[in-house]
Amino acid sequence: MSTANMTRAERRQARRIRRFDNPWLNPKLIWGAGLLLSIIFIGIVGRFIWDLDLVFTGSSPLKLPPLGFENLRGQLGVMAHPIGTDGGGRDMLAMIIIGAPNTLFVGLLASLIGMSIGIFLGFSAGFLGGRIDDTIRVSADVMITIPPLLILVVFQSAFGDVTLTMMALLIAGFVWQSPTRLIRAQVLSMKQSGYVQMAQLSGASTTHIMFREMMPNLVPYLFGSFIASVTTSIVTAVGLEVLGLGPQRIPTLGRTIYEAINAGALIQNLWWWWGIPTLLLGVIFIGLLLINLGLDEVSNPRLRRLS
Amino acid sequence: MLDDVTTDKPVLTLKDLSIEFPTPAGVVQAVKALSLDIHKGRRVGFIGESGSGKTTTALAVMQMLAEPGRVSGGTIDLGGTNIIELSEEEMRQARLSRVAYIPQGAMNSLNPVMRVEPQMWDGIIAHEGHLERGELKRRSDAALASVGLPLHTADLYPHELSGGMKQRVCIAMGIILNPELIIADEPTSALDVVTQRQVMQTLKAIQTDIGSGLMLIGHDMGLMAQTVDELAVLKDGELVEHGTVQQILQAPAHSYTKDLISSVPLVGGESFLNPDARAEAPKRASSEPLLRFENVRKDYGSVTALHPMSFTLHGDTPQIISIVGQSGSGKSTMGSIMLGFNPPSEGRVLFEGQDVTGMNAAQSLDFRKNVQAVFQDPYACFNPFYRVNHALKFPYKQFGLATSEAATQRAMEEACEAVGLDPDLVLQRYPHQLSGGQRQRLIVARALMLSPKLLIADEPVSMVDASLRASILSNIYDLKDKYGISILYITHDLATAYHVSDYVMVLFKGHVVEAGPPKEVIGAPQHPYTKLLIDSIPWPDLERSWGDGRTDWDPTKLEAEAARAEAVYRGAVPGFDLTKETPHG
Repeated sequence: MSTANMTRAERRQARRIRRFDNPWLNPKLIWGAGLLLSIIFIGIVGRFIWDLDLVFTGSSPLKLPPLGFENLRGQLGVMAHPIGTDGGGRDMLAMIIIGAPNTLFVGLLASLIGMSIGIFLGFSAGFLGGRIDDTIRVSADVMITIPPLLILVVFQSAFGDVTLTMMALLIAGFVWQSPTRLIRAQVLSMKQSGYVQMAQLSGASTTHIMFREMMPNLVPYLFGSFIASVTTSIVTAVGLEVLGLGPQRIPTLGRTIYEAINAGALIQNLWWWWGIPTLLLGVIFIGLLLINLGLDEVSNPRLRRLS
Repeated sequence: MLDDVTTDKPVLTLKDLSIEFPTPAGVVQAVKALSLDIHKGRRVGFIGESGSGKTTTALAVMQMLAEPGRVSGGTIDLGGTNIIELSEEEMRQARLSRVAYIPQGAMNSLNPVMRVEPQMWDGIIAHEGHLERGELKRRSDAALASVGLPLHTADLYPHELSGGMKQRVCIAMGIILNPELIIADEPTSALDVVTQRQVMQTLKAIQTDIGSGLMLIGHDMGLMAQTVDELAVLKDGELVEHGTVQQILQAPAHSYTKDLISSVPLVGGESFLNPDARAEAPKRASSEPLLRFENVRKDYGSVTALHPMSFTLHGDTPQIISIVGQSGSGKSTMGSIMLGFNPPSEGRVLFEGQDVTGMNAAQSLDFRKNVQAVFQDPYACFNPFYRVNHALKFPYKQFGLATSEAATQRAMEEACEAVGLDPDLVLQRYPHQLSGGQRQRLIVARALMLSPKLLIADEPVSMVDASLRASILSNIYDLKDKYGISILYITHDLATAYHVSDYVMVLFKGHVVEAGPPKEVIGAPQHPYTKLLIDSIPWPDLERSWGDGRTDWDPTKLEAEAARAEAVYRGAVPGFDLTKETPHG
């Protein structure tokens, strides 16, 4: 049947079936990825078309509102600063262009490192067993019970000013434990499975069994776990920044919120100062959530519905 | 035709029942225009392979079809009530009180954190409201007594019961409200033959007692013949034959029914194999025996799964050695010890004179190449990530057998053809696109390609549809007959062991209780345990009194007797020496 003589309802049905057959055409996944990519897009394109020197204090008039709004002093928003300026005369748009990708970067890097540690420890624990397993399992359990923010506050205060990478490294020390437990459990159950025994009978080496037989089947779990830990990492990073810790000279969304609160932006009704970074954080979290839900449907066909 | 047997009004009437499952690939007709009556006091068997629609029919009667399945036509009439028109609440009232369902994995249907008694009370309370404790107790005790369980079972948790006891508890729960119809969905498929016989006896006795109709779903023609009055044969959702069990067994009309009957191997019956080639074993470089057990013993905690055992398999003439026993007899433990997956607690396993547990890399690769296995579960043996040819190609390359890509491809195709598979059709598929039988054949093809010296087949056909068992077993037999591979066949099925093997060892609680050529051990058993096992196998033979509800048949007592009896060792076969165990007990 050609597309031309199909009714609207038939076309919609065909689209649903295509979506069912190719799970990656999942609307949640596409929307979530779209939201995150738009943040990265702002960061990249902004660097070419906007003057980034405007992030420095005093480069512009103070507390200007976004275009079409008026601040308490009766000043109108201007084209030169389309989403306003903060209490130190820094351009909000320039801060977003640099800050939003920075926040995402800390989350991704911390979670990448955390996942790598998790995969390594999870496989070691599940595969080798015995005392190695006991050690890894107990330390992961202990780490799960410790609230990360508490320790990080102490660490960061001791370090003083840190770089973004350094902060990501510190956070990574607190996001490896859940992937470790998850992968260990999966490896333990897979180790008993028929195809792993078959691979052993085929004379496969341990590395072959780990990476060629088990790993491909773990990919959906790894993806899901990765996205979840990106969320945790960003929450932790923003938490630290809002407390005034973390990088002191590099704009991030959390740091902007900290400065807004510190300068009394809430009382002075400078809503754009704290509101816009909060909105962007919301977009990031919703994007991550949608990706996670979408991945769930990809890896678990039972959640996919025809209608 | 059947009405002269009983004049009662049927308890269940299915009329033109059709059930469909809408899927992305189109609507699947699971049951097509099925019409059937079940009369009061009659036992009707539904037999067919997996996917033939028998469980779907039962679930439709219970109004418990899984989404998105739906009844697309016809009526289900339960003693005058049209079930399809009942509301959810009315259906809830009807379940258990009018139609009881005993599910396949009854052992998993019990709540693990509740004692047996309150679980039995739940059903009464849900239908009759809160009754006096004394009344509830009286009724649950009566139900337990009727399935032959001691009354103290009521105070136990499910994990404290054996599989057979759990299944009997489920039967007691099913009949507690005296339903008009009992539906039993493969109630014994997870049980040993001995327990199966006991559970089926219980079910028959109690069904006769309360006079309800019984719908027994299964795939085992032997079990059906020994249990039911009428038989309904289903294939691809269609009722292909229906009649009394005598009619169907003596004069099956449909070719599929004939296949089902002939696929049940009988002890002493005609062989389904055609031994013709009698190949020699491959020449071996080593003069040491192929496999040797030296006082091998295995303990799991304080439980001894395998008592010290010694045997030598020379491997100069190919042999099929069967190890038979119930679950828990230690037969699978033996298999995993031989494969080196499970180190023995005591003693040594020698492969060509080399201890299996202490091998260097090169020896280990040689051992792996020469000792291969076929496992029970053909669904788990393929990595879902790869196409099925990965399972054949990878070991072939790993053992250095592959000279070129084209040679590997040719070897794979030849192996597939040897086991009756079309290589173009299967090799490029993913495992989930193949049936259980096709996958198990591929595993046999894999063993053939690698041409090991020893193959360990651990229950290779117990999860395959009945009609395919004989042909897969003859594929395995051909490995010995045509390619000279020695095989250790581990099974609970004495009838297949009888046909396939050259030597049989009967394992009971980790001891060899009887050993010898199959014609003697299984054909004329001497040890009480072997006799018990053979008595428990259901055959499609109507003359035999198997599960007639006699209560004097007590497997517990017979097993206790068997534990005291001396092991019986009979004739030997060349190339296999079993060292006699010192008497135990």
